[in-house]
Amino acid sequence: MTDLSLSPTQLDRYSRHVIMDEVGPDGQANLLDASVCCVGAGGLGSPVLAYLAAAGVGRVGIVDDDTVERSNLQRQVVHGDADVGRPKVDSAAEFVTGLNPDVTVDRHELRLDADTVTDLVADYDLVVDGSDNFPTRYVVNDACVIDGTPFVHGAIYRFEGQATTYLPGGPCYRCVFPEAPEPGTVPDCATTGVLGVLPGVVGGIMATEAVKHFVPVGDPLDDRMLVYDAADMTTDEVPVAKNPDCPVCGDQPTVRSLDDVSYSGTCAVE
Amino acid sequence: MQWKLFADIAERAGTDAVAVRLDGDDPTVGDALDALLETYPALRERVLVDGEPESRDGIAPDVNVLLDGADVFTTADGLATEVSEGAELALFPPVSGG
Repeated sequence: MTDLSLSPTQLDRYSRHVIMDEVGPDGQANLLDASVCCVGAGGLGSPVLAYLAAAGVGRVGIVDDDTVERSNLQRQVVHGDADVGRPKVDSAAEFVTGLNPDVTVDRHELRLDADTVTDLVADYDLVVDGSDNFPTRYVVNDACVIDGTPFVHGAIYRFEGQATTYLPGGPCYRCVFPEAPEPGTVPDCATTGVLGVLPGVVGGIMATEAVKHFVPVGDPLDDRMLVYDAADMTTDEVPVAKNPDCPVCGDQPTVRSLDDVSYSGTCAVE
Repeated sequence: MQWKLFADIAERAGTDAVAVRLDGDDPTVGDALDALLETYPALRERVLVDGEPESRDGIAPDVNVLLDGADVFTTADGLATEVSEGAELALFPPVSGG
């Protein structure tokens, strides 16, 4: 069985997908037709971008306002030593197109906030959040819930990672964590360090969720949060259920637009 | 029963697993938390917050208290939930690194 929408080169490139019953030419065509916005081209964004590019996701947006620092290279594997000082969106985009010319890359060299998120989210089929701060994470959650865009969340701390998938109509990140910690409560990577390979695993899980979503195949993390501990080499699952009181996706949501929330501090909904 | 601690909470305690023994009748999640905080007072300021709504029994809004994996505030009676000897409790906060 062949699908006429795949060229001979594509049938070769994606042959290990195409021969799988669970993916096949149709699943591969779905991937080629898909668009994903990757928020952050850092530790998590690197493996996400690499595997989405390799899988042939047709259009990939890269959002990041940082430049590459040498201290990033211990874990941010789409950037190289010669990229130090360059915008991350540039080196990440070159990595993606170098790996797979099928992929169209949109570079968004900006900081995602309440003003910039809405148009971006609406332009993609799915968002992958590999950002590095709570305000961006709450902005992504709230914008995706309001817009009805699915997103994959992943976050890391030292040896631990968390990943979950939001699907429209299901529970959201605020159902689990209504507010972020007070600023200063939780040290960041620069202060506390992070095992370099940790985002490789967690970002790999995030990319897996995105690829499964488009094929489609398998069971998503839409009702649970996967918690990975690289030190113990254990995983836990925390059930994620819809909170009827959730201000964004609950029975009587109070957040109708991003103007209703101040995305600083704890990102609380007052 | 056993407490499992995650992320910065485990880091503050210096361990990610704490066994507690409760002698009284019908022990609750709150009793188990008191025992944990007595042993690791450094957790107090991270987990407890003044002025939190009564619905969260004074627990910080970013800390999930899990009993056998499920949130005690949305699926049970909060800190008043009774716990059995073999229960696994957890303090589970969000992380943001990327």
